[in-house]
Amino acid sequence: MNELLVVFYILATLAVAYLWFYPRFIGNNLQLMAWVDVAVTSIPVAISAILYWESDPTFRFFVFDLNWFFFTILALTIIEIPIFLLYLKARGLSKAYWQLFKQQSSMSGAGFTTASAKEVEKNLNDTRWDGLRSIGAKSFLLWASNLAIWFGTAFLILVGDNLWATYALIHVLVIFAFWFLLRKSVRLVADAPDEALDEMMISSRDRAHVLAYRFFAAFAFTAGTALMVFAVVNDFQEDSDGFSYLLSITWPQVQAVFWLIFAYATMLPSMAMLFLDIKREKTRNAKS
Amino acid sequence: MGRKPTSDEDRVANRVEDFRTQADLSRQELADQVGVHYQTIGYIERGEYAPSLVLALRIASVLGASVEEIFWLEEEN
Repeated sequence: MNELLVVFYILATLAVAYLWFYPRFIGNNLQLMAWVDVAVTSIPVAISAILYWESDPTFRFFVFDLNWFFFTILALTIIEIPIFLLYLKARGLSKAYWQLFKQQSSMSGAGFTTASAKEVEKNLNDTRWDGLRSIGAKSFLLWASNLAIWFGTAFLILVGDNLWATYALIHVLVIFAFWFLLRKSVRLVADAPDEALDEMMISSRDRAHVLAYRFFAAFAFTAGTALMVFAVVNDFQEDSDGFSYLLSITWPQVQAVFWLIFAYATMLPSMAMLFLDIKREKTRNAKS
Repeated sequence: MGRKPTSDEDRVANRVEDFRTQADLSRQELADQVGVHYQTIGYIERGEYAPSLVLALRIASVLGASVEEIFWLEEEN
């Protein structure tokens, strides 16, 4: 019965999205559709969280038993994919979509790029987001994104098993919002392929990646050291066998760790680029 | 032998802006002709970015001067 209810509100959400919202407000803009789809996806997940977080019933998915979260995500994926493909076919967007996918996942230069040359070119000439490119806005973005990431992480680690743990959904949306704003602020340069940039921008991007790697390495080293300290401290406990360790972790804590790593893996290059921009502009202001 | 750091000690000074103005070119026009973004020309003119040899040669060619006339090493100390 619970399974049917979840399928019902997934179908209702997708009906509103694909029969009214997308045709009327999104049209053929695949980039925008991808962003709005993140919000659309979060609606059934949020409803499931409200209905089933406390009771945590088991959902039957063919031969598997799942919890509410995985059942909603899996059912949503299976139901939405054919609808999405039909939408692309009906609007003649199939070829453009796969081309976009191919561009975004292309390997270029030193690594994986998440911005296409066309997107970068558009952003380099864009003035609509210039409000995010002043020194004050850059400093704010740098501080606010880090505070939001660490606040969400700490909250999910400490929250326990209750309804407040649904903050994970807001945390994910906040992370994606900052990811979007950071990329706009640096005009996608931190994630751009070589062919989209000139030599100065390639140099700036590479410097940002070196700095980002150093931060990430320090972060990974700290996490590894914490695990080592945990093991050594446990060795001194009376019931320790000196070999195996028990680390209990809740579902919100798993999400906290996952989204912390995800956030920094995706955002650190842009953050590092902002950091270098701020430093350069401060030096320029000091000289003038 | 250690590499000499490209720090504030040696700065590449230039007269790109003077030559560009004489040639009646905007930053955008010069940028288009040498194949860079117009902001990069701004950074070069302010001395905040030292161009590669290839870019310096291209700029010199478009501005009708030799590289040495446009760029030189300014030793502050």
